[in-house]
Amino acid sequence: MENLEGLKLMAEQWSNQGIEYLQKIPPFQLYAAIGLLLLTTVLLLSFRLVRRTKSNTVLLSGLSGSGKTVLFYQLRDGSSHQGSVTSMEPNEGTFVFHSEHAKKGKIKHVHLVDVPGHSRLRPKLEEFLPQAAAIVFVVDALEFLPNCRAASEYLYDILTNANVVKKKIPVLLCCNKTDKLTAHTKEFIKKQMEKEIEKLRASRSAVSTADIANDYTIGIEGEVFSFSHCCNRVTVAEASGLNGETVQVQDFIREYI
Amino acid sequence: MLEQLLIFTRGGLILWTCKELGKALKGSPIDTLIRSCLLEERSGEVSFNYEAYTLKWTFHNDLGLVFVAVYQRILHLLYVDDLLSLVKESFSEIYDPKRMSYDDFDETFRQLRMEAEARGEELRKVKVVSCVKKQGQVSKSGLDGGNKSGGGGSKKDDGDGDKDKVGSLMTNGNHKDDDKTDLANGKENTADNVVLDPSKLMKLRSKGVRGRGGVRKTDSIGNKSSKVSAAEPPKKATKKNRVWDDAAPKQVKLDFTDSVGENGNGNHDHVDIAAADQGESMMDKEEVFSSDDESEDDDDDEPRSDEKKPEAKKKGWFSSVFQSITGKANLERTDLEPALKALKERLMTKNVAEEIAEKLCESVEASLEGKKLASFTRISSTVQGAMEDALIRILTPRRSIDIMRDVHAAKEQRRPYVVVFVGVNGVGKSTNLAKVAYWLQQHKVSVMMAACDTFRSGAVEQLRTHARRLQIPIFEKGYEKDPAVVAKEAIQEATRNGSDVVLVDTAGRMQDNEPLMRALSKLINLNKPDLVLFVGEALVGNDAVDQLSKFNQKLSDLSNSGTTRLVDGILLTKFDTIDDKVGAALSMVYISGAPVMFVGCGQSYTDLKKLNVKAIVKTLLK
Repeated sequence: MENLEGLKLMAEQWSNQGIEYLQKIPPFQLYAAIGLLLLTTVLLLSFRLVRRTKSNTVLLSGLSGSGKTVLFYQLRDGSSHQGSVTSMEPNEGTFVFHSEHAKKGKIKHVHLVDVPGHSRLRPKLEEFLPQAAAIVFVVDALEFLPNCRAASEYLYDILTNANVVKKKIPVLLCCNKTDKLTAHTKEFIKKQMEKEIEKLRASRSAVSTADIANDYTIGIEGEVFSFSHCCNRVTVAEASGLNGETVQVQDFIREYI
Repeated sequence: MLEQLLIFTRGGLILWTCKELGKALKGSPIDTLIRSCLLEERSGEVSFNYEAYTLKWTFHNDLGLVFVAVYQRILHLLYVDDLLSLVKESFSEIYDPKRMSYDDFDETFRQLRMEAEARGEELRKVKVVSCVKKQGQVSKSGLDGGNKSGGGGSKKDDGDGDKDKVGSLMTNGNHKDDDKTDLANGKENTADNVVLDPSKLMKLRSKGVRGRGGVRKTDSIGNKSSKVSAAEPPKKATKKNRVWDDAAPKQVKLDFTDSVGENGNGNHDHVDIAAADQGESMMDKEEVFSSDDESEDDDDDEPRSDEKKPEAKKKGWFSSVFQSITGKANLERTDLEPALKALKERLMTKNVAEEIAEKLCESVEASLEGKKLASFTRISSTVQGAMEDALIRILTPRRSIDIMRDVHAAKEQRRPYVVVFVGVNGVGKSTNLAKVAYWLQQHKVSVMMAACDTFRSGAVEQLRTHARRLQIPIFEKGYEKDPAVVAKEAIQEATRNGSDVVLVDTAGRMQDNEPLMRALSKLINLNKPDLVLFVGEALVGNDAVDQLSKFNQKLSDLSNSGTTRLVDGILLTKFDTIDDKVGAALSMVYISGAPVMFVGCGQSYTDLKKLNVKAIVKTLLK
């Protein structure tokens, strides 16, 4: 008790001293100092708010060989140049689409990131997911059936990722290489992917929740999985990287950026 | 002649191809090169073989470019390395990140190529002359044709140039040195039969596909197999009792096995059946690992290297500090060497096999050479970061290891999912088989065990005990039976009674033991399992490399039908006995390319985990 009393007395003394000191400073300087402090705090807060405007990052993901790099260069330059090989690193760029160069007016730039699809480079996707505003999942419509399982596992991992679920990032299932004759239709691909994800749901939820590194489960219990069950919007579109038919992809991106 | 030369970015865009040599390449050699070699951290190798082509490459790490030259494997072009470095230098001058097409480079390339070819010709002439001189000393007429690097005609063979060369090198043993200097691609022909380089691994995998069942046997293996095959038909098919030579007189065969029924419903009911629920298997538990700060571990480097040259070190430290602030122009090999050497030592103290550590360091060196050092970073931290990336890349599985999904897929096709456990003696196959069975059972999958270890005394009883404790059916035929046949019948039984998974236990065998490896290969060929799981213990050191590569080799050599089955997955055991010497995991994954599917960390049923890649990498680099 005595200690508390002693401390109280000391505190009072200090506050008195502080007040005396303050009163000694000429008022103008004091007001100037306080004004500056307020100004800086206001500026910081406003920057914070301004920066929270929506990010303009779009991710191009998908299995290796589905045509992401070609699509990236089509969107950026309007041509796929001399072809591509398996990517070892992501391709990034902030630009306006090639087809939009002719348009007048202020068009917002898109930060497009082409993430390598090779399974050993899968961790790279995790780096970019937090800043993504939309995801384009590219699927090879030509060689769809052999890769169906791997593609659906990748898509399942994306759809159950914590970032995607919390921020409800929209996903576009883009069926690439549709210029070829034997390419499957987008409806077929959509149904197949839904079936495969349904199977994955069954097998992964049979395992306890802490086992596989899926953060969330998707779909409604007891019902067959369909993309409409996801809390984020999942749409399907067709494209052809080699021919430059990327209209549907561009429309999707522009919807969100 | 050169087939093709490409320049592409690390992001995958092709910047320039030679239009003169416009021949289209068969298959997709570049993609295969990237997937099996560059992404597998084998970029330190000299060349890569793909079917009929050989590929050589070089990096420009600063600009992020890759230069690849493709040529026919049967030719041995001397000038390719030279050409690649010339192309690298001249291209980096005209490279501009904004530019996508470089047609003006065609002319430059033509000149460079002529220059390189001319130099190659001169070199060849000099070598032929010196070779002729050496002729007088020894008689090795046979090898002459091979030494003429330009032609290589006598060694023409569809695709096994490597093996034949090795064979001929071995027959002219003492003149290996000469051969090395004479042959252009000396390094690729060194006798690294021990380490399975990626081209061989790829070849092993694709052998069956191309249907060349019996053609490729080289001299040594060919002789052995012909001898054995001659001896086999007259012998009966029963397995002979193994007699360990010396004085042991014929003893009365000690056999205490009780005659029990097929499903082990014998009279030993006093064995505990209480293993029904021992709690959650550790496979399902979240891995909790402490996130220590990984920041300033570089301090360890400094005191360690103090023992070496203090003077040079002092100067090195000062200059490295200075460089780290200013950001030096480009990293050279000499700069990277000390850091890489320290890193290699560190890896080796963590029980990584020496060859693997060497290869990894070479690969990291290749990817960092010429790169611009960012300011305020030390060389050692850049090297550490690159090595960490490389390790994560290697340990991340190439394909999904979702066993549950595979089991479900097999269930739909109404057949059991068959897993075969192989490995050397005493690694823990039977124990871990029981752990896997327990885990599967926890997830409502019906399991059946097959006791195909018909050699070791007590093996069948061991499994029977496990089966009784876990309440799962076991298929066994006692001892001295052919394991392949037992496995086949077990699978049929499983199909009949609707088991989802069949776990097949095999006897331990050394990788050098030819007849036992043959028996194993017969088992695998006959039964075509879904998963061949190699069980390896974490205590093993350099021998892991030998074990896995020989297992893979034998499995592919002795496979007869179309598909070659290699080791599909690794089960790492006795992980609890090593504290932080986790290097065996890295060695095994690097040498075989197979992912680690399970980790055994104790001797009870719940001690089965998954491999936590980040934790392992952190431990390796601590």
